[in-house]
Amino acid sequence: MPKSRRFFNAPRRRSKHELLLPALFIAPALLVLLALSIYPLIYSITISLQQETASGVKWGLGNFARLVSDNFFLTAMAHTFVYAAAALTCEFLLGLGLALLLNKQIRGRGLFRASLLVPMMLPTVVVGVVWRLMLNPNFGALNGTLKQFGINTESLTWTASPRLAMLSVIAVDVWQWTPFVFLVLLAGLQAIPQEPYEAALIDGSSRWQTFWHVTLPLLKPSILIVLLLRTMDLLRVFDQIFILTEGGPGFATETISLYIYRTAFRFFDFGYAAAMSFVLLALTNVISAIYIRFLQAKEAA
Amino acid sequence: MIKNLRYVLLLPALVFALAPVYWMLTISLKTEVDQFASPPPWFVFTPTLQHYYDAFVTRAFGQYLITSAVVAVTSTACALVIGTAAAYGLARFQLPWRLNRRLSLWILSTRMFPAIVTAVPLFLMMRDVRLLNTRASLIIVYTAFNLPFVVWMMHGFFADLPRDLEEAALVDGDSRLGALVRVVLPLVAPGLAATAVFCLIVSWNEFLFALVLTQTDAAMTLPVGIAGRVTQYEIKWGVMSAAASVAIVPILVFALALQKYLVRGLSLGAVKG
Repeated sequence: MPKSRRFFNAPRRRSKHELLLPALFIAPALLVLLALSIYPLIYSITISLQQETASGVKWGLGNFARLVSDNFFLTAMAHTFVYAAAALTCEFLLGLGLALLLNKQIRGRGLFRASLLVPMMLPTVVVGVVWRLMLNPNFGALNGTLKQFGINTESLTWTASPRLAMLSVIAVDVWQWTPFVFLVLLAGLQAIPQEPYEAALIDGSSRWQTFWHVTLPLLKPSILIVLLLRTMDLLRVFDQIFILTEGGPGFATETISLYIYRTAFRFFDFGYAAAMSFVLLALTNVISAIYIRFLQAKEAA
Repeated sequence: MIKNLRYVLLLPALVFALAPVYWMLTISLKTEVDQFASPPPWFVFTPTLQHYYDAFVTRAFGQYLITSAVVAVTSTACALVIGTAAAYGLARFQLPWRLNRRLSLWILSTRMFPAIVTAVPLFLMMRDVRLLNTRASLIIVYTAFNLPFVVWMMHGFFADLPRDLEEAALVDGDSRLGALVRVVLPLVAPGLAATAVFCLIVSWNEFLFALVLTQTDAAMTLPVGIAGRVTQYEIKWGVMSAAASVAIVPILVFALALQKYLVRGLSLGAVKG
């Protein structure tokens, strides 16, 4: 993204007319966002402060107090963190590996690159369908193929198994989003100039030393950005899990977004759902602030 | 040696990325007998288009498809008009109180809300104004959703553009608006097209808002229609795969057109919300 430059000439004397024109350009966008992003947040705050009781609506922090003692909420939070941490680690390591492999001019590189990007372009609902078909214990391609290799698939019921369901939904996320990490890191690698590498070569550094002391530090901004974007998406994950398991079996794969959805649209407890959604919002804000601080520290250094 | 090692590592990644999608395509083309066959027939089966017929003619998937297309195109058009105007205003006019930077950052920050956070109040708001189960509700929500992205993409393209050209037009007696339409917009047309395609993909793929706001056959989009079939008790795998396969087609066409802009767009959170 280009840094915000000064686009305009030295400030001139502004007439009324000159402020009216930009206002006309910008106002519609601001109005739309006020009505559909900011107003909903305010609306959400007001309903989070209301509890339906037998004697009518009660105002207060009751919904927020409930959070602390709600085991379902705490479990959903724990699931969300496990899901995000595991998927982020795998996606980063695999994506970095693929980016390094494809950073050299090799035959068929364009084909590899284009094909690897397919999973991330798919609608998440389609990803859910694809993996329902792959992982189905009875006729899924995965178990069918494993069987051909003589592996006993009796206990491998994937998304239907309380033990393997979480692993399955994480694997599906890794399948879909490793390409994104790969793409951003590959772009980062290709933006690194040649000189540091030539210097390392002259110094007689090993491949490993070059990677550790030259490539990684220069790639750091790309790494931080991609980790930030993935973390935000992982914490709010909904679509794939909804299609694959609906949070089940039991509660095994219920993440915070699914629990909020269930609270609002199955139990119609909108106030409590709103309260939980603010916890999610605060969480993503804090984490993105930490990442951004790291990013700015890097830029200053 | 090293070179061959690269291929040894890359080929499994390629198979892993593509095989599941290929498997779904085969399911959409297989008879029920072949779908449940063991061992799974990856390559040899008798193809049939029956499931596509069932999905799009017998069932309502044709209607979902039309809704998806109408919603994606209309919301993209709205977001482009409103967003491009704002981007131009922010990029080309010096506002007081450092508003240029502040407004830009504020606009982008609205994009960072987790979808579920706004989904709950938007559902209630749409219920209050009786817009639940209408295409209009989705068009409105997707326009707002895509807007920050359009502003940021187009802001970048306008900023990259030398100002001499439009100033020449201004000197020649063109109005601001005239200069914008006749000089600036044609120059950023490729960027505008790329931005449009990103918005189309986002709207086409979007699931959570559509799930929350539309539950009737007349108003639901393709993803919601597919999801409804998945979570039913008896699942028609062929029909579902056929619908999902059709849902992929426009995305793949768009993605090919976008190669050049992919990193820039994705870094701003295109493709998914």
